[in-house]
Amino acid sequence: MAVQLPGRFARRRPRTLRGRQIRTAYLFLTPALIFFAVFYYMPIADIVNTSLHTGPQADEFNGLGNYERAFDDPAARNSFTITLFFALGTTLGAIVFGLGLALLVNRPLRGRTAFRLALLVPYLTSVAVVGLLWRNILHPHLGILNRLLEELGLPTQQWLNTNPLATITVVTVWQIAGYTMILFLAGLQGIPEVYYEAAYVDGASTAQRFWRITLPLLTPTTLFVTVMSVITGLQAFGQAYIITNGGPANSSDLIVFHIFNVAFDSRDFGYSSALSVLLLIVIMVFTALQLRAGRRREVQY
Amino acid sequence: MPEYGSTEPLSRRRLMGLAGGAAAAVPLSACGSGAPEAGGAGGSGGSGTVSVYWNAGHDYAAYRKVIAAFEKEHGVRVRMQKYQWPDMRTRILADFASGNVPDLLENTSWVQEFALSGNALNLQKYVERDGADIGYPDDWQDATIKRNTHEGDTYGIQLHQTCSLLLYNKRMFREANVRPPTTWDEVVSVGKELTRGDVHALALNQDYTYAWPWLLQNGVRHYDPKTKDLLIPRSATLEALQFQADLVHKHKISPVPVPSTDYSGPQKLLSAERVAMIVSGPWDLEPIRASSPELELGVAQVPRKEKQSTILAGSSLLIPAKAKNPDLAWDLIKRLTQLSTEIAVTKKEGMLMPRKSWAKDPVVQNDPVANAFAEGLTYAEDAYEDLYLTGHYGELSGELFKVLYQGVIMERKPVEEAYEKYVDAGRKLIEG
Repeated sequence: MAVQLPGRFARRRPRTLRGRQIRTAYLFLTPALIFFAVFYYMPIADIVNTSLHTGPQADEFNGLGNYERAFDDPAARNSFTITLFFALGTTLGAIVFGLGLALLVNRPLRGRTAFRLALLVPYLTSVAVVGLLWRNILHPHLGILNRLLEELGLPTQQWLNTNPLATITVVTVWQIAGYTMILFLAGLQGIPEVYYEAAYVDGASTAQRFWRITLPLLTPTTLFVTVMSVITGLQAFGQAYIITNGGPANSSDLIVFHIFNVAFDSRDFGYSSALSVLLLIVIMVFTALQLRAGRRREVQY
Repeated sequence: MPEYGSTEPLSRRRLMGLAGGAAAAVPLSACGSGAPEAGGAGGSGGSGTVSVYWNAGHDYAAYRKVIAAFEKEHGVRVRMQKYQWPDMRTRILADFASGNVPDLLENTSWVQEFALSGNALNLQKYVERDGADIGYPDDWQDATIKRNTHEGDTYGIQLHQTCSLLLYNKRMFREANVRPPTTWDEVVSVGKELTRGDVHALALNQDYTYAWPWLLQNGVRHYDPKTKDLLIPRSATLEALQFQADLVHKHKISPVPVPSTDYSGPQKLLSAERVAMIVSGPWDLEPIRASSPELELGVAQVPRKEKQSTILAGSSLLIPAKAKNPDLAWDLIKRLTQLSTEIAVTKKEGMLMPRKSWAKDPVVQNDPVANAFAEGLTYAEDAYEDLYLTGHYGELSGELFKVLYQGVIMERKPVEEAYEKYVDAGRKLIEG
């Protein structure tokens, strides 16, 4: 039985079915929106506000002073540059090794599932454990790698001193390649077999099938991997924190680690907040550029 | 199968009601989870709880006994939260920002910095009331008084007082027929005798704070508040940094330090008998004994250049300005710094203490290691004296100095260039 509501309430009720559907959708979305507002957007707004302040308590208004300082700060420039190289290196590595591994484990191998799982294990391991593991392996004086090299009569390495950024980049690629492998594997299995059969009948070589069919049809996956890897690379922290402590002499001082030190070592929350906001802008710009470039190359099939 | 939107009006209303209820529950539940609980969320405890931040390596049985007696007498519970120093700094700075602070904080050298920023409680009224009873400041080493004082008032009480000395492998020295070096020249000559194959004479630390014994021995001051100059005299600073770099790259008696978060690299090399000596403090004694019980460990005074000096280290106790139980925290400080407690900790753990009467106690006098460190404490200096007055203690003693030290020692950067960069960056910070 329909209930007649008082006029004040009756006016608020959407008249059309579509209106009621929209209202229902918003009501269902409300908890998630509140969650994001409280735990994401409000902290971001707070960071933006803090970035306009200075002092140990970040309570003295400083306008855009922290942003001006960031552009004039060689340490911040060094960290941003290093982080861009790190993000580029890990993204390229993740794509090349992830795709290579995916192509390998997509073949009819005995124990294929075990291989896939084994390759995914580094990604499932925390960055702290991976960092400690590689720090101990690569230690020039006490690490197992140099002992092995000595046993084999080969020259020993000092990569943590000589190439710290390249070292943490390779360690990160080692860790995440299994994850990108799974993504590429899903992409490979989504490519209809009929295209390969047609190309085979037309006499296309293996390389031609890879460059002309596999790679173009994997564009959505590659785009996703690229965007996620760049974001992850720009936000990397644990590698610098655990393996090199940003050293030697800040040569592996990734930007998030730098921001952390500015906040909690130098106790400059205003400046560290400004650097965080700049990093957010850099990430958004990179993501937008990648999405735009990726969509242009997307192949519909 | 019903399509979306084809449900009966009554069912939809019920669904909407449920969704609305769920939406309302989120902020309510958030309020619930954010409300302070009886035991006290975050730093400060609730009523009946005294919240303490403590170094994870200093959880000694003698302190636990003192705390148990304190809890019994006051009818409160002491909640100890243990951190390594870097994590503790992160935590306490976050606490200062939120206003939810512990009642008592053990810290390394942050008393003056936090006094300047208004985060540490002025303890002068407590010292004036109880100082004579507990022997403060008369029974504390002079150097420990200054590093806990700001504008003439006491803001912290020294808990431990340590310093760095030469820790060496007696067997390796005996086999090379050499004695611990007493001068910089001897460091090189003795070092050359001790260096064989992949065994080096001396391990320098990747941690930049370990550069300071050498700088202090050459008469370097980090900051002069009158002239506002950093790392002076310039020539002495350059010489001390160059000397350390030469140990690694010219004389090759030290391995290149490895960048890491871990300051215990040299201790591990000494334990593994890959180096013959290190410059370190009593915190490395127990790890060496535990990992290499057969190692014949010797402790010698540091070598001298312009003078004999080493870095003064240790920890202090301070009460945050917004602590909820400052009176209880002060009572706990008094108990933790009693002479009997100090002696008990030294006896069991080998830790060094700041009281003058501690140094004269038979327990210290009869222990060769404690006695050697007690002698070191007589000439140890605070490397960061007055640096907090710049308002940039963290940057000047930390990140900037790390780049200078690691650049010179690990990356072989020219000393003058690295020094000028440090001084320029530091001057910019100080001048704002």
